[in-house]
Amino acid sequence: MSMTLSAYERIVGPSAITQLYRLGKKLKGRRIVHVNSTREGGGVAEILDWMVPLMCDVGLDASWEVIRGTEEFFEVTKKIHNGLQGRPVDISHKDWKIFQEVNEANMGRLRPILKSADIVVVHDPQPAFLLPLCDGRKGKWIWRGHIDISRPFRPVWKVLRTMLEKYDVSIFSMCEFAQSLPHTQFIVTPSIDPLSPKNRDLEPADCENVRTRFGLDPDRPLLVQISRFDRFKDPVGVIQAYRLVRKVLPIQLVLAGGGAADDPEGKAVLEDVQEAAADDPDIHVLELPPTAHVTINALQRLGDIILQKSTREGFGLTVTEGMWKGKPVIGGDTGGIRLQVVNHHTGFLVNTPEGAAHRIRYLLHHRERISEMGKDAREFVRENFLLTRHLREYLTLILAIRGDATARLLEV
Amino acid sequence: MKPFAVKDCALLVRMSGLPPAINLRELRERVAACNENVLFHHFCESLLRPAFDHPDYRNDFAVWAKWYLSDRVLAERLGILDPYTVNSLEELRAITLDIIDERLSEVVAIPSAAPGDEFFFLEATTVVIDTGERVNSPKELGAAIRKMTNGSIFFHFLEARRRVPVGMDDFSAWLKGEEKKNAKYIRTLASIDFYFHSLSNLKEEIIAALAKVERKR
Repeated sequence: MSMTLSAYERIVGPSAITQLYRLGKKLKGRRIVHVNSTREGGGVAEILDWMVPLMCDVGLDASWEVIRGTEEFFEVTKKIHNGLQGRPVDISHKDWKIFQEVNEANMGRLRPILKSADIVVVHDPQPAFLLPLCDGRKGKWIWRGHIDISRPFRPVWKVLRTMLEKYDVSIFSMCEFAQSLPHTQFIVTPSIDPLSPKNRDLEPADCENVRTRFGLDPDRPLLVQISRFDRFKDPVGVIQAYRLVRKVLPIQLVLAGGGAADDPEGKAVLEDVQEAAADDPDIHVLELPPTAHVTINALQRLGDIILQKSTREGFGLTVTEGMWKGKPVIGGDTGGIRLQVVNHHTGFLVNTPEGAAHRIRYLLHHRERISEMGKDAREFVRENFLLTRHLREYLTLILAIRGDATARLLEV
Repeated sequence: MKPFAVKDCALLVRMSGLPPAINLRELRERVAACNENVLFHHFCESLLRPAFDHPDYRNDFAVWAKWYLSDRVLAERLGILDPYTVNSLEELRAITLDIIDERLSEVVAIPSAAPGDEFFFLEATTVVIDTGERVNSPKELGAAIRKMTNGSIFFHFLEARRRVPVGMDDFSAWLKGEEKKNAKYIRTLASIDFYFHSLSNLKEEIIAALAKVERKR
């Protein structure tokens, strides 16, 4: 990504941009390193894809490192991920050893960069063990949790906690996700890049090409859920909701998911979804490569209603994306979806396939509400969930932790 | 008069360290024990957090009472509290506790939220940024305010009341530099009933009030 902040001025206004450059000036030349476990696929990689260049644009010396892991390692970290989101999982002593060894191997490679950085931001649990291995570190270390760990499976949390408590501060997407830790915990909601291929405006022809490519009927309503094939996203529940509506309305459904390099469970879930879809020609289960950003953009624009029927969700950037395209979202009443879907204003919160079906039918019978809610949804995202606000919070947080992170007023 | 320095602000929100409250009794305990910044955050800073349109109530306690405790009576009593009309945050705490105690004495069962709907106690650092913009005379103030962000409005008109001179917005404090000459501006700013406005509405209200003074001059 080569965009600079000035490109966003027409979307967020000049004062937001000036403010970011002023903040950046105070941190000029500071070395900040982000570490995560995948370069492509999933919300974290998408955020870092814009955040790192924009941090550089405002004057920081920012970089992004990705840990390398074996298939075994990612199987263990998927179990950790599931455990943190509350699912009982069996993680053996051997599994934790694999986790530790891969982190050690990465530390061997990354030590010079991490040791000398002013700020290290470690994203999610996969690289969390790097800090205990980094003797003589110079800077402050931040752990950034992107997932919903409000009710973790305790045995997993207890082990992870021993690693996280060594960090200087942590960041969670919502206060509900924060856990008791012996350091300051900040709340920073994620965001989307409105100019990325996944979110920028498209020509009508681009959308029509995608419609033709996947054989979607322009004359019938289209429901779209974009997300990894992950059980917490409840793709099978979406199919159940579709079937309830399909009995009375001629709708179509797209379930499109990209894989992520650090998610080995995706294949099994995809098979379950394909089985549930059976041979219904109006259910389009699309396995898209991680680079299919424009295709996803077009699918969201072609959809009449965006679904994100998750049962657990960190934040749900696909909700933000759908809203930014001016679509109402019917989302699971959980996690960050609650923060974005303002019930009856920007969409509906639901708890069951039946609830989703009910709201789909309501919207399809009140088409004017689709456009009203969509308009409100887009403005809500503009005010709250674009990358400029997100970047501002990171910059202010870095400034704050240089001194007293809990001061009431901080003049910069 | 020295030029008025326009500043902008952003909130950096963090957990207060208090455990979340699941019911009204726990809410009472935490409100009694929390520091003043927590009270200020939940009564005043909600304006700068992601929120849609006009919420039912301006403070988080009232909103929680309505939506998660399903106690509309308590919500209404808490919802009318205006933190800017009391002398201090300690006084605000005392009034809030009194309302909760009264409600606890009325109800048969302690109102309780479902797991996952607890009240989380937050506080924030207000990060203040000098925009570099300056206002040189009261006549320019209305036009300057029109260009301000919601963060600037919050900082100069609301957050200012916690700073010295306590209880006064920054615009009025600046205008007081020539108090006699600027008395009409100061009076009109003081007449704004501001707590229940959104920041964008408040901005319009301030601009309209200043314009009215200009027209009469």
